[in-house]
Amino acid sequence: MRLQEAFSAAVLDSQQPCPRGLVSRNGHVESRFAVYRNNVQKGLINALAFSYPVVARLVGEYFFQEMARLFIKKSPPDSPIMSTYGVRFADFIGDFEPARSLPYLADTARLERLCVAAYHAADAWAVDPQVLARMLKVPESLGQLHLQLHPGVATLDSPYAVADLWAAHQNEELSQGLDLSLPQSTVVLRYGLSVEVFAVRPGYTAFIRHLQSGHALGPAAEHALHVDPYFDLSQALALLITHDAITDLSPAPEISP
Amino acid sequence: MNNKTTRTFSAAALALALGSALTVAALPAQAAGDMEKCFGVALKGQNDCAAGAGTTCAGTSKTDYQGDAWKLVPKGTCDKTASHTSSTGFGQLAAFTAKS
Repeated sequence: MRLQEAFSAAVLDSQQPCPRGLVSRNGHVESRFAVYRNNVQKGLINALAFSYPVVARLVGEYFFQEMARLFIKKSPPDSPIMSTYGVRFADFIGDFEPARSLPYLADTARLERLCVAAYHAADAWAVDPQVLARMLKVPESLGQLHLQLHPGVATLDSPYAVADLWAAHQNEELSQGLDLSLPQSTVVLRYGLSVEVFAVRPGYTAFIRHLQSGHALGPAAEHALHVDPYFDLSQALALLITHDAITDLSPAPEISP
Repeated sequence: MNNKTTRTFSAAALALALGSALTVAALPAQAAGDMEKCFGVALKGQNDCAAGAGTTCAGTSKTDYQGDAWKLVPKGTCDKTASHTSSTGFGQLAAFTAKS
């Protein structure tokens, strides 16, 4: 057990010496171990760079590598599934002193994590709009209607315009005049096989989170209106319906005749 | 129901919102034949979709007549609709950069 602990600690920290007890078939055990260690770390750094391309682009390759190396030491993977590695990267960035000058960096990482999660979210099929339309015949039950959303649907409220920042980095040419100091709410979802990111009014994210936490349509809409007096329920529903994001309805019992 | 403010949704308001959302959702299928995407003619926040690289989102354009935001218009009318930002003076069928 001690050997394994020493080995895994040494693999993740280049400052540590080669663990005792290793043997090598070819060459010096120290240099063989150094190669192995480098491969492990580089693999994890690449996994992070792949999940957080905008963060990597914002800080540059060298900064990102060193930041990722420190993160790996602190939060080694606890699962072999590399697409889920780095769930705590955004929090780490938020506490990372050298990144203090980019206060929006942590939320940018949060947005990228939501995109990865949406991409890998389980499949779910949209409710037929005709079923939704049938609900219109019993308008008094609509307030109690529960909408199940696609598992890839996620929200982020940031004091920075990270959705605009993210969008600007999806193309080679960067748009001018990005005002990052504006707060921005974002909805992330997967439509078909593509992950889509929407900059929205704060009422949308409040509405979606309320639906996700099990509130019915009526209370969720009222909550959203409380958060954002300009909340437009019709547009918020249209966003969800047109992107196949409503996957199930659970009507209140009094609907049945 | 007695002391609620006006910031609630009545059954009728919910039905109206859902109904118009369903109408919007049904739109592109019907629109494909006789509508076209027209860039540079939507007023701020009134675009149907595509504002800013990546964020394809209705109602997010930041300026009037934004060149990368489009609105569905009846076919054939796009290049007859005035656009202050367009080099032709009218809407265009593809995204463009506003003239300076």
